[in-house]
Amino acid sequence: MIRRGAGLAAFLVATPVLIGIAYSALASVGLLGPGSTGFSTASWASAFDDPQLLRGLGWSLWVASAATALATMAAVVVAALFRPGTRSSGVARLLAVMPLPLSHLAAGVLGVLVLGQSGLLARGAFMAGWIDQPAAMPALIYDQWGIGLIVVLAWKEFPFLALIAFSLLADRGRALEEAARTLGARGRAVFWAVTWPVLWRGLMPAVVAVFAFVAGTYEATVLLAPSDPLALPLLTMERYTDVGVAKRGEAHVLVLIGLVVGIGAVALHEAARARDRRAT
Amino acid sequence: MRGWRWLQLPALLCGALVMACDRVAPEPTSRAIAAQPWDSVLAQARGSTVTWRMWRGDPSINAFIDQWVAPRLLERFGITLEVVPGQGPGMVNLLVTEREAGARGSSDLLWINGATFASLRREDLLLGPWADRLPNARYIDTASVIIARDFEQDPGGYESPWGQVEYALIYDSARVPDPPRSVAELGAWIDAHPGRFTHDQSFSGMTFLKILMYALGGGVERFQGGFDSTAYAAGRDSVLGWVTRHRAGFWRLGATYPAGVAELHRLFANGEIDFSMSNNENEVISKVRQGILPATARPLLLRDGMLANAHYLGIPVNARNPAGAMVVADFLLSPEAQLEKLRPEVWADGSVLDVSRLPEPWRGRFAAQARDPHALSPDSLRRYARPEVDPEYHERLTDDWRRTIRANTPR
Repeated sequence: MIRRGAGLAAFLVATPVLIGIAYSALASVGLLGPGSTGFSTASWASAFDDPQLLRGLGWSLWVASAATALATMAAVVVAALFRPGTRSSGVARLLAVMPLPLSHLAAGVLGVLVLGQSGLLARGAFMAGWIDQPAAMPALIYDQWGIGLIVVLAWKEFPFLALIAFSLLADRGRALEEAARTLGARGRAVFWAVTWPVLWRGLMPAVVAVFAFVAGTYEATVLLAPSDPLALPLLTMERYTDVGVAKRGEAHVLVLIGLVVGIGAVALHEAARARDRRAT
Repeated sequence: MRGWRWLQLPALLCGALVMACDRVAPEPTSRAIAAQPWDSVLAQARGSTVTWRMWRGDPSINAFIDQWVAPRLLERFGITLEVVPGQGPGMVNLLVTEREAGARGSSDLLWINGATFASLRREDLLLGPWADRLPNARYIDTASVIIARDFEQDPGGYESPWGQVEYALIYDSARVPDPPRSVAELGAWIDAHPGRFTHDQSFSGMTFLKILMYALGGGVERFQGGFDSTAYAAGRDSVLGWVTRHRAGFWRLGATYPAGVAELHRLFANGEIDFSMSNNENEVISKVRQGILPATARPLLLRDGMLANAHYLGIPVNARNPAGAMVVADFLLSPEAQLEKLRPEVWADGSVLDVSRLPEPWRGRFAAQARDPHALSPDSLRRYARPEVDPEYHERLTDDWRRTIRANTPR
């Protein structure tokens, strides 16, 4: 009975996703959607023929890796440093989760206002006399390395990870840490032997989710990313809303590639987890 | 056997989707409505709701629609106007998907032109012909090639014009007191003022490239009469050559381009660049009035010629309320609505009516319509207006610019 219930739940969750995948697969070979003209692999050929694809994919993977790593590190540090108890740590924890209700679009706009070459940071640096004019500020948005985008995405995703880290330490961490201290472990040793493994294992699924989300996110990317390389989500949307409907098939190819990135991240995580289980 | 079971669901879904491919949209009874006497169209429209899918990116246009048009439609025709956001290519996607799903339409009226009209006609997704039957259609300036042809296509009664605009550059008269007035002068200006000029990657930016193509490729005449690949290749090479020559003087060395015209306006308003641009020669006037652009911002035409085009209203083939949509389209063509829309403090969108055909007092009112002191004169607008050409030029130029310029940043 329980198995049947679980199967039904899995079916309900999977159906919309599978419909989407099936639609994209059919649309990518010209069987469905705007501009479809019957079976053809032309969209696959022209998507892979375009050097923008690999560079955009590589760039999106870089941004997603960097933003996820930054957000994870920040979440671990904040959760480890600010334990519940004192008022100052309560304030710090509250500040940490502040960006959580903000939409990604709003975070992107905030990024433009703060990090742009006419933004708050540039004006502040100019007033402080560090640069001769606001425009002399190094480019942090629309920049080749995606620094501004990485910072904004890390800032936006970090509270999500921090909340999970808080609850992990409250649930399991505290008792284990106390046990370690009773056994004579000191500050840093407790962190590396107990706190870090508890956080790391517990956070991993959420970290994978953040990575997959960030790799495909559109709103902040369109506001902060450069036009070359063009991030995968931007390239996908550009194809999907191209003036010529013939490009729609390519958009679906790119959607499937984005999907492979997400599935790849989950598969890597599952493999690592299985190895971890075998090792312990 | 166990593994096979996993395949059942995807197989089922694929099967359902393939079947959906062959599904034909039901023959719309709404075609008949277009042929009915106007009085019965009005009668059917009364008490109905019209869902209008349109671009919602400009607060002054939104205010005109929501605060001026909608209450009048309700008061005079008993029509409730519901406006939903949507833009050209997105509308094509939506209508194709609706047809594939066999779903009832989610829009009655569409704001379209050019390539969107071409795509919708090619997919047979527009209702028609109906536009010539609107009572106010008799006032349309049919002699104007800008209105009578939509990117060289004959509207054929499948869309009704409701406004026209001309492309203009925007500059700040305080920062650039003596702006360049031709493509050659603009190139020299860019070289002399590195980092102060760019264009966006969207429709507006690509239209700017098309203006360069006319100017550098021997005039619009070379590209008229349908798509010609030889003329295109020559035109493209001259545009991309011009961009390459001046690229080092572009904002950020031409390594990156703003995503859309809103970003371009922001860079201009913040003083990061000295020029912006717009599909509507009067956008700068209304944006200055709203405080979005600096008070010293002005429109600018290049003597080599700019691009002018009209925008239209279409009714999708799966519209639930084509009668209501026709009444709305007719109201928007009325002298009253066209004059209101023309006012600089409202939207400053060009009228599509031939004033000489209008009865008094409308003729006098159009003549007396106050213009903003900084607006371009009708004479200059007429002199430099060039019509749009086959949409394929726009498509191909966009694609080639993306591949050869945007994706090849000099590092």
